[in-house]
Amino acid sequence: MHFSIRYLTEYRYPSPVTDNLNALRVRPATTSTQRCDEFHARIDPEARVSRHLDYFGTEVLEFGIPTGHESLTIDVRARVVTSDPPSPPSGGWEELASSAYREAAGEFLLPWQDQPQVPGLDDLYASLATASSPEAALSLLCELIPDTFAYRPGTTYVGSTIADLLEAGAGVCQDFVHLALVLLRRRGIAARYVSGYLWAAPQDGGVDSLEVDTHAWLEALLPGTGGRGEPVWVGADPTNRILANETHVKIGHGRYYADVPPVKGVYRGSQSSTLAAAVTMSRLDPAAGARA
Amino acid sequence: MLARIAHELYWLGRNLARAEFTARAVDGVFRAELQSASETGPGVRFGWNGLLAMLGGNAGGGGSEGGGGAPLRREQALERLTLDADRPDSMLACVERSREGARTVRDVISAEMWEAINATTLTLRRDAAASWRLPGGAYQASQYVKQRTALIWGIAERAMLRDEAKRFLDAGGLIEVADMVLRMLRVALPPGDEAHADGNAFALLQAVGGFHAYLRAVTAPPNAQPVARFLLFERAYPDSVAACVDSLHEAFAAADASPADSKPVLRVSRLAADLEFQRRALPDGAELLGICERVQQELARVDQDVADRYFAGAVGDVARSSSLAMSGGRNPLAAA
Amino acid sequence: MPPETTVPPIDAYHPSAPFYDELFEPDGVPRRAAAPLVAELERIGADGLAEAGRRRDAAFLQQGITFETTGEEGVGHSRERPFPLDLVPRVLSGEEWRHIKRGLAQRIRALNHFVDDVYHGREIVREGIVPWTLVASRSHFARAVHGIRPPGGVYCHVAGCDLVRHSDGSWKVIEDNVRTPSGISYVIENRAAMTQLVPQLFASYRVRPVDHYPQLLLRALRSVAPSADSEATVVVWTPGPLNSAYFEHAFLARQMGVELVEASDLVVRDDVLYMRTTRGLVRVHAVYRRLDDDFVDPLEFRPDSLLGVPGLVRAYRAGSVAIANAFGTGVADDKAIYHYVPEMVRFYLGEEPLLENVTTYLLSDPEVREEVLARVGELVVKPTGESGGKGVCIGPHATEQELEEVTAAVRAQPEAWIAQEVVRLSTVPTAGHDGVLAPRHVDLRPFAVFGERIDIVPGGLTRVALNEGSMIVNSSRGGGSKDTWVLEDGEDVADRAGPPIADTAPPALPDLRYGTWSGQQQQQQQQART
Repeated sequence: MHFSIRYLTEYRYPSPVTDNLNALRVRPATTSTQRCDEFHARIDPEARVSRHLDYFGTEVLEFGIPTGHESLTIDVRARVVTSDPPSPPSGGWEELASSAYREAAGEFLLPWQDQPQVPGLDDLYASLATASSPEAALSLLCELIPDTFAYRPGTTYVGSTIADLLEAGAGVCQDFVHLALVLLRRRGIAARYVSGYLWAAPQDGGVDSLEVDTHAWLEALLPGTGGRGEPVWVGADPTNRILANETHVKIGHGRYYADVPPVKGVYRGSQSSTLAAAVTMSRLDPAAGARA
Repeated sequence: MLARIAHELYWLGRNLARAEFTARAVDGVFRAELQSASETGPGVRFGWNGLLAMLGGNAGGGGSEGGGGAPLRREQALERLTLDADRPDSMLACVERSREGARTVRDVISAEMWEAINATTLTLRRDAAASWRLPGGAYQASQYVKQRTALIWGIAERAMLRDEAKRFLDAGGLIEVADMVLRMLRVALPPGDEAHADGNAFALLQAVGGFHAYLRAVTAPPNAQPVARFLLFERAYPDSVAACVDSLHEAFAAADASPADSKPVLRVSRLAADLEFQRRALPDGAELLGICERVQQELARVDQDVADRYFAGAVGDVARSSSLAMSGGRNPLAAA
Repeated sequence: MPPETTVPPIDAYHPSAPFYDELFEPDGVPRRAAAPLVAELERIGADGLAEAGRRRDAAFLQQGITFETTGEEGVGHSRERPFPLDLVPRVLSGEEWRHIKRGLAQRIRALNHFVDDVYHGREIVREGIVPWTLVASRSHFARAVHGIRPPGGVYCHVAGCDLVRHSDGSWKVIEDNVRTPSGISYVIENRAAMTQLVPQLFASYRVRPVDHYPQLLLRALRSVAPSADSEATVVVWTPGPLNSAYFEHAFLARQMGVELVEASDLVVRDDVLYMRTTRGLVRVHAVYRRLDDDFVDPLEFRPDSLLGVPGLVRAYRAGSVAIANAFGTGVADDKAIYHYVPEMVRFYLGEEPLLENVTTYLLSDPEVREEVLARVGELVVKPTGESGGKGVCIGPHATEQELEEVTAAVRAQPEAWIAQEVVRLSTVPTAGHDGVLAPRHVDLRPFAVFGERIDIVPGGLTRVALNEGSMIVNSSRGGGSKDTWVLEDGEDVADRAGPPIADTAPPALPDLRYGTWSGQQQQQQQQART
């Protein structure tokens, strides 16, 4: 699919603020199933933007506005082409112990120490352990989580833990992904958090532009079969009960949310600010036009 | 130098001077109040309530005991002005604040000066809990603070480098002295319509501390009018408002990178000229309360200019650092 | 009952076997280098030592050379105490010191290579020497500085490795400190105090000086500071007066003649670091920071912290400011990584390590873990991420309950713990309150500065466990310190009186002139004849 994405963020401050420093992780990545053709970021008040790749390979845009200002606009535009990933490999559980797998997995296998031990986790984990293969476990998880928890914005906040999700019984995609990561890693499957955009058109199609939002899903490292074939990172979206496909536009990944936040900033001044953010995705390829 | 350090030094100076003048005022009122009014009628009104009003801006302190109506008993007032650690305007509180400030800048003010301030605080704390609770104890405490502040300023003169740091310390002390003298004048001087009631002003001189200087410098008897003029305009007396403003100008001019276009330097310079003009222009017996009020307001503006020009970043941060806000990314929401 | 007037402090002294005593042979005869010192101590006597001790405490309190003990009770219970300096020095021969110094320089060089490698090529991981997941799971592994190489490739500008001497006399490294090791101010203050309190002890020795450390540090910081044309502006960054090592931060800033700043004094504009002064923003080229990575930049590291200087990592990445020690060095002094340091020396330098490690077990391996837990009562178990002796369980000294607790903690999170064989720390005679000497256990923390080259101040901080039998030397937990003497080689103790003063006596001091009336009467003196 061929998308044009516009991610517009506007902060308003009741009184002038200074030293507003921000780091953006919003540029679509270029991967084997995705290509970012164009990318612009415009900041108002104008600021010099510096770029670098972070530890996980995500492009980071950084800028700072030292002088007083009462609003900040971040206007990001991108064009990206995606394709469906090949079907996932279905290596067995025993492959998880192979040195090739462990090497490819690296730190994404490590338990997440900051997360509290939650009793309710064990039941979920028990269900997961019955799956016949890592691939089956991943698919199972994509059903298990939305079956168990309600999708309800406003229940949790940006710094919520898994314990918060279990307690509330509801959360958003970020919480679902965090829970999935903990369960998968506990079962020995390497897993990482993915931040990106999702083309969430209704099933019957017929739309070529959508107001969406930044989205989160995960990638699990599935082993190849019979010792042949490299293990492969496979995207899965527990919020939408699907494996990731060409409607998922990846920005980057990390161990968890805090490694790839879309916008992270600090400023001096009044704590209350209002935020308006919108992501608009439009389809540019002929398929959309034909259907419309 | 670091804005934060300059800010600490300036306030160290202010707090030391405030402690010293509170002690002097307590001393003056204590003596005056023990005796009956002089036969010629009092030229100044100076009692415990006046003193509390002058320092705290509120005699009652919000408590049930004062409230502006019922006059305070001497013990209460003394306690509040001297050793009550919970009152921000007490002598002890000023000394404690000096110590806190001095601790952060002890490398700048010299080890001797730090030790002197530290020892003063510790003695005051210890004796406040013990012997100075007795009748007359508060008076002893104020004597002690007078002596120790004189010692501390003496050490500053001898041990500190004459650099920016010393200028800011001095500036804080000077602006506070001028402010305290003006406060006392405004409380003590009879209002305009009683101006002719020119009784003696021993208590005021006693409270400000210029008794002997006055006797040597002025031939007129120590009555309200000449005393007030002396405390306002006599540039040869270091604690007069005019002398403080002169020295303040000197301190800022020396500390500033470009005094020619510096707001605080220019404002202080105008104020000094104005005081000199008033001294010559005002006839004897003219009403002085108005000018006291104006000068005090102008000094408050100087204080603001100083904060803006020299401490801007540091002071702002200290006050606002808790509201340093974090703009997190919003919770990613699924669209399905 | 009153004690005898002079107790000879040495007579009653017996080195306690099997520990190595630094001043005495096992049979109680003073070691060769220590003989004059022991003789002088005997002359001073126990009373003399006790008296000097009282003068020392008074002087330290007055000058504020103190530290706050927080102990186990937490921050609320801290109180200021004079830093306990024992008046009997530890003596190291020049030869011994050269060995230590070479070994440390080698070790620090290897650690520095390791930090660089971890954030760049990961050669040592690819060679299969250090497992990557171990590195990545260290709490001080700093992803934020991945790929950043500071000026000169120096990360560990300041290092303080803790050494101990085993009962066979060999030196072992027990811990590396390449984040913000503290204690150098005590080394310098201790020496100054010793020369005032017990000058006679120095009489027959030539002891190498230590007070040039601040200048070494300043030179190193200037040498790495990115200031092309002008003199570099260097600052010391302290968390503030409430920090337990604030005294040292102020001491170093004062000795180097640089500003002591707090976070609120610093601001980053356009990737350049400035400090706020009365005359506006002034650029800062090098920061000697004395706080952990977690609190330096709220945009990186801890996302929940608002402390620090926003944008500092940006400025660092842009190369506009040098940070000492560099961000992310904590990965190298982690207690689990420690295990691999000898391998690092071989891998990066192609040399055999001159200083040994203490035998260490990593507990993430289930087999090793079970073996260790089976004899947890004989071993020392330490958490990997802590410093200052926090959370350490010394098996032979622990109660049943403590052993159970640590066993549970290890099982819950094996990768956060290591176990070590108990080291028999050497002893040095140490004076009690009464001035009588008894053997007490010591370690040694020499301080190294890495700029254009590695300089190590002769000696270092000898920490001493003041309680009998105790091996915990941390000052926060009842430890004291000793002056550490490194002796000059060569026997000649030159005349220290200095060159003779030329024959230019200054004029007599001026006297009061016409000050008082002097009598001019002549007394009539006539001796009576007999």
